[in-house]
Amino acid sequence: MSETMTVEPSTPDRTAARNELRRTRRRELVWDIGATVLTILMALAVGFVATLAVGKDPIEAFSAMLTGPFSRSIRIGRWLEDATTITLLGLSVAIPFRAGQVSLGAEGQIFIGALVAGTLSIHLAMPGLAGLLIPAAAAMLAGYVLGLLPGAMKAYWGANEIVSTLMLNAVMVRVYAWLLTSYLMADGATIVASEYLPSSSRFNPLSDLFGTDLGRANVLLFAVPVIACGVWLLLMRTPFGYEMRMVGANARFATYGGVGSRRVIAMSYAVGGAIAGLAGAHLVQGTNGRMILGISAGLGFEGIVVALLARNNPLVIPLAGLGYSYLRVGGDVMEQDASVGNEIVYIIQATVILLVTAQAAHALLRRRRHRGKADVGGVAPPTEASTAGVG
Amino acid sequence: MGEFLGVLFSAAFLASVVRVVTPVLFAATGGLLSEVAGVPNIVLEGAMLAGACAGGLVAGYTGNTGLGLLAAIAAGTLVGLALGVMHLDLGADAIISGIGINLLVTGATVFAVFSLVGEKSGTSTLGSHSLPVIDIPLIESIPVVGRVVSGQSILTYAAFAVWFAVTVMLRRTRFGTHLLACGEAPEAARSVGLDVRRLRYSAVAISGALSGCGGAFLSMGYVSYFVRDMTAGRGFIAVAAIFLGAKKPVGTLLACLLFAATEALAIRLGNFDVPSQLVSAIPYATTFVALGFFAWNGSRNRTSTFAEPTPEADVSLSAETPG
Repeated sequence: MSETMTVEPSTPDRTAARNELRRTRRRELVWDIGATVLTILMALAVGFVATLAVGKDPIEAFSAMLTGPFSRSIRIGRWLEDATTITLLGLSVAIPFRAGQVSLGAEGQIFIGALVAGTLSIHLAMPGLAGLLIPAAAAMLAGYVLGLLPGAMKAYWGANEIVSTLMLNAVMVRVYAWLLTSYLMADGATIVASEYLPSSSRFNPLSDLFGTDLGRANVLLFAVPVIACGVWLLLMRTPFGYEMRMVGANARFATYGGVGSRRVIAMSYAVGGAIAGLAGAHLVQGTNGRMILGISAGLGFEGIVVALLARNNPLVIPLAGLGYSYLRVGGDVMEQDASVGNEIVYIIQATVILLVTAQAAHALLRRRRHRGKADVGGVAPPTEASTAGVG
Repeated sequence: MGEFLGVLFSAAFLASVVRVVTPVLFAATGGLLSEVAGVPNIVLEGAMLAGACAGGLVAGYTGNTGLGLLAAIAAGTLVGLALGVMHLDLGADAIISGIGINLLVTGATVFAVFSLVGEKSGTSTLGSHSLPVIDIPLIESIPVVGRVVSGQSILTYAAFAVWFAVTVMLRRTRFGTHLLACGEAPEAARSVGLDVRRLRYSAVAISGALSGCGGAFLSMGYVSYFVRDMTAGRGFIAVAAIFLGAKKPVGTLLACLLFAATEALAIRLGNFDVPSQLVSAIPYATTFVALGFFAWNGSRNRTSTFAEPTPEADVSLSAETPG
């Protein structure tokens, strides 16, 4: 709809409408951020009660979790590095979400991304920026293909996407493990891992930049906001993004309006897959510096949590990613310092998902929020304004 | 090759197929009810894990496997009902909230075992407890068949019996046809006075209970104690089997057997010079290819009858997730 607005000349009426739309968008952004924070707080409260219920000291455990990531610089590094991966995964899941699609394939895409980026870096030593970017780009391409496969199967043949993506994940994990142990393992390695990547293929560690030990955090962190803005532009400012949102809102209507829904659905999986592939590349070229066995243990599902937390808003996803991986690192610290296990993080994570998806609760909140606005007289059809709020 | 075929048709192999299929068949049979009633159910995994954990804990503490089985059924039912509350009452997307419930169960089981037993890995310190194994008098003396059909856990027989009962129920009973109506055309079902919500609740509850039985088999049959994350994706395999079997009882059973055969094969092939990771990928790759093939085949037949079947986008997700 924004497209049509820019084409036609601006009459005062239209300018007013556009300003109103902008105001709504700003309000929605503030609301999204607020809801994210509120959800995290409520989930923490549930975790607190759970700890209390089993008779552990929740104050000790929680202070370990909430202050833990800042207790040492290396833990800050762990937090930033984890947030990079998690945010990329959140963005990867949010794209098909906006087209009304649930893709659980991020896990497999991480593995293929890691495999492609790692193998290219080791075997095709390229100098300069090419050494850094070509493996990462190849990983994105691999993720793209691995996303397109179930996406196209769903869009054109109606194959169930939940089953196909889960099966692909299981296959990819095993193929990765097989190739790593049989062909890519470094000589004399004590664990199942490839040799380290040449430094030209590694994302520069932040430790070098800031002079303190920030562990494995690296410069890809700075690219994350850029990528998030890119995803926002893709969704909100391009014809393809508009088509995706239309299909997400109502696929039949979109088809009726001339959108190639099948193509759009297939592509939404593929584009999401590309970003998950990049997350895989980050795990090899940034975090670990080499391919290791079990490089992702269920990280793909974490992306879903982040996307839900941010309500699929690409601009909020980096914040949700930072907040969420803070909890993850805090959970690890809690495990080390207090005797409470980081299973509590699973419970917090689950609470987040359940809170966000329970729509009846949202409807209640929304009604409260919109009450009193009804008599202002501004006819705000729940079309662009409310869909825009989603992301 | 001859050696390979020898493995494939050995009694030991067939017996292990029957053993491996048990938990998956339980979950798939339950999940089938939920699917036909129109509720996509991926909490089979969580219900199975909850059942395995509750069974392992109760049997471990009381020494009574019967009580353990009851606890497993109760825990599974509870997980199924949780999906019901989220999806049917709170309007949550069944898949996404299902992921949440599965995560909750994963955390809660480790948490429960850790705070009760003091160990995170499982309940092995509580000793071994297995449900009885049944030897069928005459059949056990028949050469090959005896080793396959006789001497299995009581739950293995129960799994096949339950599958048969559900097959008959869906075709022949009022409750079964009502469930089918809920999935096929909920509005039509409502218009003739069926309580769709209640029927769907019973479907998810039963699917939870049956998955719980599958879990009980894992912790009191397959192994004799609970190990964390011991379901290892079997619930998802059950979901895959339902779709592979085109949401039909016979198809679901065949798909479960196919999966069990490839898994049992993967275990056996460990003796040969084949990379174990590749062999263990076989069931998943098979399912993926078969799913694609059947979908392709089905869509070819469909396009000849209907002009342009629009892929059903899940409207609820993107249209209503905003906060």
